[in-house]
Amino acid sequence: MYLRTEKISKHFEGLKAVDQVDFSLREGHLKSIIGPNGAGKTTLFNLMAGVYPPTSGKVFYKEKEITHLSLNQISQLGITKTYQITHIFPSLTVFENVRVAAQSRQTSFNFWRSTCSLQEVNRKALEILEQVELIGKRDWLASTLSHGERRYLEIGIALATHPQVLLLDEPTAGMSCAETNLCAELILKLNKTLRLSIVLVEHDMSVVMGISDEVLVLNEGRTLAEGTPKEVSDNEEVQRVYLGER
Amino acid sequence: MKDPEDKRTILQDVELKPKATIVWGTALVLLVLPFIISAPLATEILIWGIFGLGFNLLLGYTGVLSFGHAAYFGLGAYSAGLALRYWKASLWTSLLIAVAAAVLLACFIGALAIKRRGVYFAMISLAFGQMLYFLALSPLKHITRGEDGLTHIPVINLFSISLNKPIPLYYFVFIITIGMLYLTWRILQSPFGKLLQAFRENEERAKACGFNTTLVKFFSLVISAFYAGLAGALNTIYLGYVPLTTLFWLTSGTMVMMTILGGKGTFSGPLIGVGVFLFLQNTISVFTPRWEIFVGAIFVLIILLFPAGIVGTIRDKYSTHKMKKLRREAGFPAARSE
Repeated sequence: MYLRTEKISKHFEGLKAVDQVDFSLREGHLKSIIGPNGAGKTTLFNLMAGVYPPTSGKVFYKEKEITHLSLNQISQLGITKTYQITHIFPSLTVFENVRVAAQSRQTSFNFWRSTCSLQEVNRKALEILEQVELIGKRDWLASTLSHGERRYLEIGIALATHPQVLLLDEPTAGMSCAETNLCAELILKLNKTLRLSIVLVEHDMSVVMGISDEVLVLNEGRTLAEGTPKEVSDNEEVQRVYLGER
Repeated sequence: MKDPEDKRTILQDVELKPKATIVWGTALVLLVLPFIISAPLATEILIWGIFGLGFNLLLGYTGVLSFGHAAYFGLGAYSAGLALRYWKASLWTSLLIAVAAAVLLACFIGALAIKRRGVYFAMISLAFGQMLYFLALSPLKHITRGEDGLTHIPVINLFSISLNKPIPLYYFVFIITIGMLYLTWRILQSPFGKLLQAFRENEERAKACGFNTTLVKFFSLVISAFYAGLAGALNTIYLGYVPLTTLFWLTSGTMVMMTILGGKGTFSGPLIGVGVFLFLQNTISVFTPRWEIFVGAIFVLIILLFPAGIVGTIRDKYSTHKMKKLRREAGFPAARSE
């Protein structure tokens, strides 16, 4: 397994946000985590990203334990997360947003060299802007982008860190139907073309069922079901607890 | 809308241009400054300007508020003063000692407090600053001369030119200021400079990109202390003594005010802020001993007119204008706010 958790739990003052969950992601696969509100999706996601340490259990990446590594250390290993609420650098231009992220794998503590001379970093940033279709707005301040474009920029920033595993937290949140479809296409392209392993937390079932290789269903912090999209959508318990109530 | 085929060309055209015009424009104004205002006032502006350039790296570009920068400024001033008075050190040695002392203190304070955020870091830095002030006031009085300040600092010569005279001193400080402006410009154009700005914008995101944000803050503090220590040493040479107030919290507070006045997070903002503040102080104090009231009122007025500081507000206006132009060129409708 590429990325996996072993009986991982996170308790917040008695509230079991995640309870004894075993999660596994194969290399090159796209796995979605779904469940009702408060099921523990984002908490599980954040445990894998190193946002906070688990109460118990372990996280492994390429069979190496990464449980107690910090967010930046995990990012350096190649696991990068995006945020449910857009996290960009608003006063920097679109290009600088991506370039800063791209330089994270180069010499960031260089105090003298001009960023204009970092040709490899700049080339990478431009490539990514083309991938997320923001190349035409590279000189715009990030704060002036529309919501959908900011979500794309968020993905662009994550891509610039050369991830091997991409953790996407509700990337289509707040997008229109057309934007959602384009975003789903982009995620699929990243997965199939760039062979990125992706963990997706998403509420839009058409996106989840349309692009996922596997789905994990959480309910009240525990695993309710796991399998292919078809297996999960056919599962009576999943229909009763989650899909049925939609 | 521009032709998509043109993408690469557009990218090359708008590749980030170093703001050399601002740097050289500032240098030119400074070159003739002692002939516009008095040379001692011009010298004071440059010294506080160096202090402000460093402070702005921390507050303006990294977004970290320190209320104890008087500690680095004062330590630099005292270290240079002590080296000149007791060890008869040369000009360059005293500057080096001052900078080294300030940097070491920043490493010490940084190691202890850098993980604290926002107001907590500001309070810890204030506490350290005041600790140094009271050390100089009483326990170390036999060395620092307490409330009287450190006097009897010998006159310094540079290539047999006495720095006791206003114009040679001004141009000596001017050359150092140009060097520090260039250094600041290089830092801001470097990967580290961009990282500082990313950190200020969104620390969590910077961390998620893989940056060690604690180290970013630490280096920013140390570099900022380097500037403050150097400014402190130059202040000793300028005044010919070290007043105890260099370590007092009011020095830190004044620097915060000067930086905000000029525009935090702008390249020339601190110099402008320092210039306006000291000019007002010097001019108004000729007419009334209660100059603080008038400077305070003018400060409030400026902030009301220039909410992001003098240079900051001008930059924001220019930025909005540039965005409008980009939108028009790209064929997008104007934003609602426009």
